[in-house]
Formats: sequence, structure tokens, C-alpha cells
Amino acid sequence: MKIKVNKEKCSGCHLCEMVCSLFHLGIINSGRSAIHIKKDDLDTSLNTPLLCRQCREMKCLDGEEGGRHQEKKKFIWSYKRAKRCPFDALTILGGNAYHCDLCLGNPQCIKVCTPGALTLSK
Amino acid sequence: MVLSRKIAYINLSDASVRISPVPSDLRRKFLGGRGINMHLLSKVYSQELDPFSPENPLIFGAGLLTGTIGFGSRVNITAKSPESGHLGDSNMGGDFGAELVKAGFGHLVITGKSRRPVYLMVKNKQIEIRDAGTWKELDTVETQRAIRQALRDEKIQIACIGPAGENLVRYAAIRTGLKNSAGRTGMGAVMGSKNLKAVAVRGTLDITISDPNNCLKAYRLQLKKLMETKWVQALGKYGTPLLFQYANAMGFLSIRNNQSTSIGDQGYALEAEALEPYSTGMLSCFGCPAHCRHRYSLTEGRYKGTKGEGPEYASIGSLGTKLGNLDLENIIYATELCNRYGMDTISTGSYIAWAMELYQRGIIDRGMTETPLHWGDGKAILQLIHRIAHRKGFGSILAEGAFAKKIFKELSRDYLLDIKNFPIEMTDERLPKSFALGMATSTRGACHMRSRPSLDVLGLPEEVLKKIYGGPVSSQFSSYSGKGRMVWWHELLNAVCDSLGFCRFLTVFSSPHAPQYQQFSKLIGLSTGLAMTPRELKIIGERIYTLERMMLVRDGISRKDDTLPKRYFETPIPAGPAKGEVISSEGFDGMLDEYYRLHGWDKNGIPKRESLKKLGLSG
Repeated sequence: MKIKVNKEKCSGCHLCEMVCSLFHLGIINSGRSAIHIKKDDLDTSLNTPLLCRQCREMKCLDGEEGGRHQEKKKFIWSYKRAKRCPFDALTILGGNAYHCDLCLGNPQCIKVCTPGALTLSK
Repeated sequence: MVLSRKIAYINLSDASVRISPVPSDLRRKFLGGRGINMHLLSKVYSQELDPFSPENPLIFGAGLLTGTIGFGSRVNITAKSPESGHLGDSNMGGDFGAELVKAGFGHLVITGKSRRPVYLMVKNKQIEIRDAGTWKELDTVETQRAIRQALRDEKIQIACIGPAGENLVRYAAIRTGLKNSAGRTGMGAVMGSKNLKAVAVRGTLDITISDPNNCLKAYRLQLKKLMETKWVQALGKYGTPLLFQYANAMGFLSIRNNQSTSIGDQGYALEAEALEPYSTGMLSCFGCPAHCRHRYSLTEGRYKGTKGEGPEYASIGSLGTKLGNLDLENIIYATELCNRYGMDTISTGSYIAWAMELYQRGIIDRGMTETPLHWGDGKAILQLIHRIAHRKGFGSILAEGAFAKKIFKELSRDYLLDIKNFPIEMTDERLPKSFALGMATSTRGACHMRSRPSLDVLGLPEEVLKKIYGGPVSSQFSSYSGKGRMVWWHELLNAVCDSLGFCRFLTVFSSPHAPQYQQFSKLIGLSTGLAMTPRELKIIGERIYTLERMMLVRDGISRKDDTLPKRYFETPIPAGPAKGEVISSEGFDGMLDEYYRLHGWDKNGIPKRESLKKLGLSG
């Protein structure tokens, strides 16, 4: 299961970021959300929602021991893993990175994405 | 954190910054945003206060729920207005408001005047005044780019002025992003008078939510209901240009400075569908599910290479039909020019329309205007926009807005359609009587955003209207009956929305099923822990509106000023779908009586002593 992004449809509202941090941490902070919208609001280019693509290969865990399956279910990661991500998909704030755990099967961001830029793909 | 946001008092004359908490009784009385802004302004507001003096405070106020999950994340900017000479206040979307609260601030109160151009840097509980000398004369988009580049941070949000604000054009706007504007009442000119080029904000602080799980649940339910309304679905697809079609079809559009009110089939050229070829997607302000704003690009023709966001219905009307201009590409370009210079599109169009009618009637001529001013002359319109922003020649006269009456002399006065020295907008209110009353009573001069009861367009059954408004209201668009009640009700609701940071379009405006007090009460409780009943919120709306009225009373404003342009009373609409519609004095007075009674104001429109006491306001 992963979240598919259609950036043509993203309105740049940031609601996905807000509900992500609210669901996981009980606070609202775009910098502590596993999804973030990359946008240049002074240009007319498309907005790009970035989040973990749930790659099979998981370059982010290179050099680490232990169970990938367990790590996939965690929201707060070390920033070092984010640095290894080939897509720069994880948000970093302070020493932490924020990783999409798919809300343990019930992704919250999709529920508030009214333009339909985020969809679930099995 | 929502309740621990601070107020910062910044004096640019002595470069001092003082940071204070927001007292909890102030939150309970005024919420935030527009409400607290009005409280702060009312402390210094007087008839003598010169809008361009260092003493006039320029107040930024984020709504109580700005930055949380709700129905918008907006910010109000308030000061005494150099455009009207009375109360100034303008509300802005975009991402600026949310960033301000992420930096730990709810309100900024800026007084004084800097000797050199400066900008404010607001970052995580800190505020610095910094030199902005090198950015003088940059337009509003260039300014934002320059600040982001200089500070190497693309996430900084900036509210700034352009050349129009620096040159004290009386209707200069404050802008953020490509399109968002605190447009009306000249807040950009106040900013220019202080030598303040920009306010840059950046915040990474957590916004703590009182009951996260239930807040998320409640929000999702409210969101679902809102997204099911036809209104928000249409808005998300077409944007505000969809309103143009209504106004034209029903006959409440301004054509050639309100000499007529519909262009019939010619309107197709400016309808929402006509924008489709230029639109490259729909965008939202921070935290908004509706995405009502077009992103556009002109890829060929005279204005090839122009790209941006919008245009909105207000600009299409004001720089289009109001000027007899039906060239959509020219309107888009004119809107972009106003945005870049930092100038309100509605007022700019309105003053140009005034000048064009004066020219048509021979009251002014080329000796003054320098070039011919014919209706629909797109080239002349663009040239005037350049000249106004730079205050060159005739442009400098128009930059004075309604104060140019003194220069144009007596005969000119009836052709500026203004209320309280502030021009009416892209519409004509002779048909919709509720709209007309709302323009006459608005606390910032002729303005549809204080009340505009758009529900009136829908012709809802009267039992439904009675349930919403708590008393009898006619479902006839052109009837006076109950419309005083309707306007009063929306004035209160909108004052609360602006104090929460919510957007008109996502609350009861064009759909009766959109959120209002009940839903607000729930979100306030779950987000902030403040228990406030729907009834208490409505009283807050009355407190804010009455406080605004009290400031106007200090200016000597009363019933005599709550009126409409002469044309509305004396000249029936000559043709089109609203042919023959005119405002009758009796009908209008009846609405006004009902309206004053509901507000608790006397027959002369002055808030009664007992009403002030009940609201906890002093005279």
C-alpha cells in the first residue's frame, strides 16, 4: 500500500501536512509532518506533495541492521535516513525526520485532500 | 499555543519592540483577528487622527483559529484609512497569517515612522527591524523574491507594499504571494507612510491543539458537509468568476460606472468559462479545502508571457465592465499590473470609471486628463494604472481617490458613486435591496464584504429564511421586507469569521448549509479549550460591529451617512433584466429602522447607552 500523488491536482493548501502532524503528534506543524508540499508560491509552477514512496529497495535503511517491516511502521525516524532517500521525500526538523507510516492503514491526509491529489494505491 | 500567541508593539520612530501576552478577557470579548484589531485601534481612534501620521497604528491580526484546521487561515490589517478618512480594515488570505502564528504572534501593532526604508523580520518569538533600502521601488512580487533570496529561505512569508504604497496612493494594498491582497481602504499607503516596505515572517513552532482526536473528527465531519454543498463544488471548479454570470444575468453588475447593469450576451466574453483556456489549475490559501483561485498563463497575444493567479470576479467587474472594457486579456493584464504595483483593483477601477464618466459628460477634458478617456479603451486604462502608481500627471490626481472631488469641483461629485467617501464596487445594488442596505451600513464605507447576504440570490422558502435569521425575511430579491434583519445577521457572522480567520466562502455566505456559529463553537472548544456557546459568539459579533460603529460616531457619522449614491435613489435602471429598479426612500428608511433596532442603536444610528453597557463597551 502506498499514497499516490498527482501534482497536477495539488492546490497547495497544506491540509495534508496539518492533519498528519495532528494525528501523529497531537500538534499542528508542517515541519513535523511526513508529507510536505514543495511549492514556489511566487511562480506558477505546480505544487509537489512529497512523502515516502514505500520503495521496495529502501535505500534509506542502507547500512542498518534490523527489521525493515518494523521500521516502516514508525513515524519518527533519524534525519540520517532522510539524507539517504533518493527522492528527498522526508521532512527534517531538528534531528528528526518524519516518515509516512500510512497511519497504520488509514491515511489521514487522503481524507482531507479535496482536489484529489492524493490517492491510495494497494 | 493558540492562546499563548503574543501581541507585539513595534515603534518604528525609536526602533523599539515590546511583546505582550493577549489577555484572556480580550480573547473572550473579541476572539482575535479583526475583533482584537478593532479593540486596539479604538484606543487611539479619533476624528483628528491623521491616517498618514506616525500615531496611526497599522495593525496585523491573525484570526483565533488561523493556522489550525478550520475554514481559512486569514489575517486582518487595520488602521485609520487614508482612502476614506474613516475606519480602515482589510482581510487577506494566502499563507502569511498561518506563518505569523507559527512564529508565535497573533497581532503586530506598528506605530511611528522610520527615517529609512525598513522591513520587519518576525521569526520564532523574535522581531527585528532591518534595513530595506535596496528594495525601494521593487514591485510586490520582486520584493518578496528579493527578501527570500537575501535570507536564503524559500519558506518565508512576506506582506509587502510596492511602488503605489511607497508613493502614498490612497488605495495602495498590502500584498502577499502572487495575488493575495489586503486591498481595500489603503492599508498599503499607511505602510508606505511609515517607510515600512515589508513584514517577513517565518515560524516553526508547534501549534498545540486542546483535544487533537476529537478536533480532527469534528473537522472531518464539518468538512464533508461543506464539500457536499453545490456552492463550494462550483467555487472549486470556476472560482469567483462564476458570480459574474449571476450579476450579469440578474442585472446587478456595474457597467460604465453604473450607467447600466447588464451587458446581456456580451457577458459571455468575461464569464467563468471564458477563463478556462488560460487556467492551469486551481489553488488554495493555507488550510482551505475549496481551492477557488485560478492559476493562469497567457501564452499568446499582446500580453504573452503574463502569468499569475486570478483574476477574481471583483477585478473582472472593476477593471472590466465598470470601465466598459470587455477584453478579458486586457483585464487580466490590468489586474496583474495593479497587483504588482500594490494597488487595490476595485478602487483603481472605480476611480478610473469616475474619471471616464466625467470625461464623457465634458466635466473634465484633455486639458486635465492629458489623453482621451473613452469607455473600453484598454490601452488608456493600462496607461492610467502606470501613472497612478507613479503619481504622474493626471495619475497623481486619481491617486487621491475620493479626495480628488476637491480638484474636479462641484459638478463631479454625483458621478463618484461613493458611501462614506469610499467608492462602490463592481456591482449595482438598485435591484437587490439587501445588498444596497449592506453597502450603506458597512463600517468601512461602501463594501460588500461586511455583510453581502448572497443567500438572498437563492430565493429560499420564507420558512427556511425565518429559521436562519430568527425573524421574517422576504424571499423576493427586490423586496425591502426583512432585509434589515438579513444584513444585521450577516454583519455579525462576518465579524466573527474575520476574528477567527475564516473565509466568507466557507461559511454561511452563498450556502445555508455551510458552517456557522454552532460549528465555530465546536472547533474553538476542541482547538483552544475555550468554551464559547453559539450565542456568545453572536454577541461577540455584535460587540465588534458596534465598536466599529462607535469609531465612526467619533468621526461624526450617523444616519445621514448610511445612505446610497444619488443615482440609486433618482435614476431607475434604464434597460436589461433589472429595468426600472430603483431604491425608494421609504423602503430604504424602513430597512434602516429595522436594522438599527436589531443592533440596539437609536433612530439616528448611534449605539444606545444600554446596548454599549450590555456589550461591555464604553462610549
